[in-house]
Amino acid sequence: MLVNLQGPWDPIFGRLGLILQYQYNNPVIFFAFELSLVGGAIALFWLTCAGKWRTLWSDWLTTVDHKKIGVMYIIVGLVMLFRGFFDAVMIRTQQAMAVGASSPGFMGAAHGYLPPYHLDQVFTAHGMIMILLAVTPILVGIMNIVVPLQIGARDMAYPYLNALGLWLTVSAAALVMISLFVGDFSHAGWVGLIPLTELPYSPGVGVDYWIWSIQIGSVGTTLGAVNLIATIIKMRAPGMTWGRVPVFSWTTLATNIIALTSFPVLGVTLALLTFDRYLGTHFFTASLGGDLMMYTNLFWIWGHPEVYFVVLPAFGMISEIVPTFSQKTLFGYVTMVVASMAIAAVSWSVWLHHFFTMGAGPNVNAYFSIATMLVGIPTGVKVFNWLFTMYRGRLRFDTPMLWAIGTIFLLISGGMTGMMLAVPAINYIVHNSVFVIAHFHNMFLLVAYAAFAGVTFWFPKVFGFKLDERLGKRFFWSFTLGSIMVFIPMYILGFMGMTRRLDYISHPAWYPLILAELVGVGFYAVSVFFFLAQVVVSIRNRHDLRVGADAWGTSRSLEWGTHSPVPFYNFAVTPMVHARDEWAWRRENKLDSLKPDHYVDIHMPKNTMVPLILGMLSLVLGFALIWRIWWLAGLSFLAIIVAIVVRSFEKDTGYIIPAAEVAAMEQDYLDRAREVESAGEKVGGGAVGGGVPAASRAPWNKLKGD
Amino acid sequence: MSHDNHDPLDHPEVKIASARGYFIGYAFAAAMMFISLGLVRSHAMSPAGLATTITLIALVAVLAQLYFLFKLDLSESQIWHTVAFAFTVPLFVMAVGLTLWMFHTLAARTMLPGMGM
Ligand code: HEM
Ligand SMILES: [Cu+2]
Repeated sequence: MLVNLQGPWDPIFGRLGLILQYQYNNPVIFFAFELSLVGGAIALFWLTCAGKWRTLWSDWLTTVDHKKIGVMYIIVGLVMLFRGFFDAVMIRTQQAMAVGASSPGFMGAAHGYLPPYHLDQVFTAHGMIMILLAVTPILVGIMNIVVPLQIGARDMAYPYLNALGLWLTVSAAALVMISLFVGDFSHAGWVGLIPLTELPYSPGVGVDYWIWSIQIGSVGTTLGAVNLIATIIKMRAPGMTWGRVPVFSWTTLATNIIALTSFPVLGVTLALLTFDRYLGTHFFTASLGGDLMMYTNLFWIWGHPEVYFVVLPAFGMISEIVPTFSQKTLFGYVTMVVASMAIAAVSWSVWLHHFFTMGAGPNVNAYFSIATMLVGIPTGVKVFNWLFTMYRGRLRFDTPMLWAIGTIFLLISGGMTGMMLAVPAINYIVHNSVFVIAHFHNMFLLVAYAAFAGVTFWFPKVFGFKLDERLGKRFFWSFTLGSIMVFIPMYILGFMGMTRRLDYISHPAWYPLILAELVGVGFYAVSVFFFLAQVVVSIRNRHDLRVGADAWGTSRSLEWGTHSPVPFYNFAVTPMVHARDEWAWRRENKLDSLKPDHYVDIHMPKNTMVPLILGMLSLVLGFALIWRIWWLAGLSFLAIIVAIVVRSFEKDTGYIIPAAEVAAMEQDYLDRAREVESAGEKVGGGAVGGGVPAASRAPWNKLKGD
Repeated sequence: MSHDNHDPLDHPEVKIASARGYFIGYAFAAAMMFISLGLVRSHAMSPAGLATTITLIALVAVLAQLYFLFKLDLSESQIWHTVAFAFTVPLFVMAVGLTLWMFHTLAARTMLPGMGM
């Protein structure tokens, strides 16, 4: 049944014998290895010395608290964002070093320092990591933290499933990192260019790493989607009708409907490819009736909805941030919601624009072209709504607002170039050029901008103190300079005919623009420094940066109606919702006290280590399948089943916090809040860097007439 | 108020299962099948009419099974299942239909006549 393999295979070690054939004398890999060894050692050393193992285990690794899970998602995403950034630096330096026939070559490369096969792995890893393991976890993390708070729930609908989703994502990320040192990674682009991913063209384990890490990660994402949808539908606080659900929660719903309906397509596509590679079927090879275009078709049926999966939460975050810092209600709530849903719906019918050039008839191309352009309408509605929200608002330019405005700019420019690409005639010219790369980076950067906006915006809610404004602004400006310097030249190069994925650039006239891109990456590196400095400095100054419940003073939705940092039970008593902008409504009606008239018992889910175990087992399973160590794969699969079954017999999964205990904990929070307020006007956000100090109530009343 | 004697049957989604419903669903499906079989065996209609009738009967059978076996209906506890189910229909039509259309034009334009397909 199994397909015959080239090279060594052993019943015990599977294909691990192959690693003797890989070249491990490459200084680049060696450097990455050193970096992770040293980093890991420092972390372990610190954990042991500071006696943190216990806290790590009980507060983080086994937690089912949606906020902590969200924080861990974001940390994983940031780490992978950094890894992906490192790959980007490698691509950019390679291209800058390999221009023209006389450019020198190092370490076995004819030009530059990366031989083609290695460069191919770098950009494949870069693309796959950035989309699936950096941006996606960061967004899922933010949704995880914010949605239950915004709708007034205690936790997600399925806390245990939530933790499982996280640990599956972690094991996907771990697999990709392992591939750096044990074996190699796919060299066929993150989209898995067929037939390159088929066994005869990629006989090693690289493609298998790519397949299994995506498979495992996307199971996690799908579970997360189920959970978020159920949470939004079933867990809203009393009074929160559909017309009062905050826009970010609405976009989360739209996003997760996309995830739930599209990720299974990816799963099936990769499974078919797996059959081709492992069992010798011919789904995607031309032999015996297979069709390689079918792969591209199926991949993009997932792939295009996936880009809306990442862009819709970004829109949602902007819709929360812009009103907060314009000190006005969001303009056009209903159209915003309808637009989100419309984008989700249309996103399903446009995928063919990714392969206009494959030879389909003019009618087909025209249909998909028009469908693609349709997406521009709801998107345009959103942009106008944000602009009208800002119009005659009292704008404050705190860091989240800067990132939000950057997002809108990027959306406009990326949207314009997207419209160009949606015209088949133009697409035929720039297809597979770096113009396309510049376009989609424009869109993904928008998501990254919105994610940074979201992280700085909600950070004080989760941790109780703000991020440093001054360093935050430097981070913003250096990142923006980097974006301009990298991607504007890339657009131009695309028009000049530079194709994507080049390891050698035969055209010396492009050299200046390529150097400009290298300078841009330098600015990105500076921005990484400012980001880290921002985190470190803010943690050091956390006492001065403390905030009250409403960190920005002009926040509007329900999550600002509980303490910062949020207690693990979220709300002392389940809030009753009266208005669309509940917190703004309470502020206006002077009902913003956080002290309820009485406390009640709270039912909470218990910590569990099963999700962690399942995550680790799936990591083992993935590794075994990649190296075709069948006994280990069978064993870990069995263990997964057993763990799931055992857990399902666990009846005692929750516990009760008695009202008296809640009251005591609440008293601590209230004391802290009083202390923060008496320490100055910090609640309004103004005193600490950035914006104008906002009086706690006045602006809202004045602006209502506007 | 402890949760350890947590009875799954407390949940409306679970409680809704009923032996009567399953039985009726089964009987209904079987009846539809026998009617179709009878129609085919007796050549009661023209081939086109037969195909249409059987398709309609199959549709009715599917709807009845969804109602009796999967309990999809408009009640409070089931509405979201029904919505989710209804939602798959356009997605399915779109993904499969557009794919067929696209491959059809592709084949017409790129395959040599008489070579496969
Ligand atoms: C730090 C800023 C970034 C830089 C400098 C950068 C640079 C690059 C470069 C030079 C390429 C290869 C272009 C070529 O083939 O000629 C590339 C490819 C790619 N990048 Fe980025 N990138 C960045 C951030 C991101 C982000 C945030 C994402 C997604 C969330 C992303 C997703 C991708 C994808 C999907 C590819 C295509 C890989 C392939 O061809 O298979 N990048 N990037
Ligand atoms: Cu697309």
